[in-house]
Amino acid sequence: MQSGIVHSRLTALALTFMAIIWVSPFTWLLLNAFDTSSTGQLAWPTTPGVGNFVAAVSGDSGRQFINSVIIAAGTATLSVIVGIAAGYPLSRLNIPGRNAFLWALVLLRMLPAVGVLVPIYFAAQRAGLLNQLGVILALTILNLPFTLLLLKNFFDTVPIEIEEAAYVEGASLWQIVTFVVLPLSRAGIAVVWFFTFTSAWNEFLLPLIFARVQDAFPMSVGLYAAFGRQGAINYGFLAAYSIIYAAPAIAVYFLLRRNLNTGFAGVGVKG
Amino acid sequence: MRHQGNPWLTSNLFVLGIGILPALLMIGVLLYFTAWAFAFSFTDLALVGRKSVEWSWVGFDNFERLFTRRGFLESLWTTIYFVFFSAIVGQSLLGFILAASLRGMRGTLRTMIEVSIMLGWLVPDIVAAFLWSATTSDTGLINALIVVPLGFQPVNFINDYALAVVTIANIWKGTAWSYILFSAALDSISRELIEAAKVDGATMWQRVSLVILPIIRPHIATNMLFITIWTFTYFPLIFAMTGGGPGRQTETLAIFLYNQSFSRGNLGFGSAISVAMLLIVGGLSLIYLRMLREPT
Repeated sequence: MQSGIVHSRLTALALTFMAIIWVSPFTWLLLNAFDTSSTGQLAWPTTPGVGNFVAAVSGDSGRQFINSVIIAAGTATLSVIVGIAAGYPLSRLNIPGRNAFLWALVLLRMLPAVGVLVPIYFAAQRAGLLNQLGVILALTILNLPFTLLLLKNFFDTVPIEIEEAAYVEGASLWQIVTFVVLPLSRAGIAVVWFFTFTSAWNEFLLPLIFARVQDAFPMSVGLYAAFGRQGAINYGFLAAYSIIYAAPAIAVYFLLRRNLNTGFAGVGVKG
Repeated sequence: MRHQGNPWLTSNLFVLGIGILPALLMIGVLLYFTAWAFAFSFTDLALVGRKSVEWSWVGFDNFERLFTRRGFLESLWTTIYFVFFSAIVGQSLLGFILAASLRGMRGTLRTMIEVSIMLGWLVPDIVAAFLWSATTSDTGLINALIVVPLGFQPVNFINDYALAVVTIANIWKGTAWSYILFSAALDSISRELIEAAKVDGATMWQRVSLVILPIIRPHIATNMLFITIWTFTYFPLIFAMTGGGPGRQTETLAIFLYNQSFSRGNLGFGSAISVAMLLIVGGLSLIYLRMLREPT
């Protein structure tokens, strides 16, 4: 048994070491963000302050934050509305060809976005949609197979007997959906909304080819443009900007941690 | 039309049909775009200039260029290297080892590790790219903390070992997914089964290879399917860290596609690259799906 204890201590030591390596870039990020005269080194801030954060929410950067919010919230809301409108009928009705359609969705979900990049750009250019609305539409279309499957799976778990009871009480379809189905699948809808929000928030490639001027950049492109620029790199500013940019995505996960697990189960390849 | 005899549904089929319409339209657009990518690949369509309007059909020229001109095959090779070492070996294996060693462990160490690998997964791609560019540059964290104190000249890792750095960055970024999946898979194996194998005298290696791996085989296939597709077409991290350089050292297919389509403006050739990528990803998916279905 002695060797077992030594063995587990070694494992614990190795794991701790790994955890330290894993978080060390974040330590670096935090230290630099709060150092107003940061040099990009791993050092205790010499002139601690929140000046970097102030700079990262004002001017162009503030505008980019708002752009990101518009794109992410717009995509999430549009996806959820379209997904609910189609997911409920798909879950409840035995439409001919439903299974073929659902399988097509599973296959489309595997489709890499870069594979249809050129047609998307071309269509957006012709339609005059090389702007935020275009990004929102394109991201909604690309995400739809995923959101639709997920919402349909959530509606499947709502017992139809409750809807029957509501119908007997004299409720119309509209009332059944708004007062019975949607409240009961609230958790699922929230998962889909936040999931889509996060993926649109992180999206880089589409805004990169769609946004032509600095005013229209979301934070992903803004951050890329800032550290890709030649010359002196302002590490403190970039670190603060990164933290502000990363915070919503991380916060969403920890808020929805329990719900997300059911979400992951719902998207298994079972279709 | 068959239905389950639910009057609130059957009397509103028209409204429900209207509800499906937008989604159907969007899926149609997606399919149409895919068809378009195929069609474009047989043209000499360009981003700007005369050929952006007066394009013509060029047959299989673009596909011929994939193999005769420099670029595609090199990028394919870089992509395979990147997928193999960062996803299949790095993320999968590390994720499995972590899931296996944290299994049954409770307390702060497990929480600490889970949170730290999740942070890598959760930060936006461009933040990860910034972190890794900054830590691996010649004045970055690794040089300041390890290389210089040991008395060596600072090494510009991001420039000298670009492919290795982006590979490691992607392991850091993506291991959480494999970890979560394997962790759930291992939880589904009953403790008694492993105890029974132990009592029967199976060594640790035998327990893993003969008991655990066969049971979680579907999870392994699922994991492979997802991370292969994602990594194969992954764009932002490498693009933001190196832009495909130095030279073409880190130009994976996604970056090659972007450069050809939007820097060089060869939309036709770019479409041929994306068709090739779709075919490769489709082929890989079929292999994994077969692995998933086959009974053990």
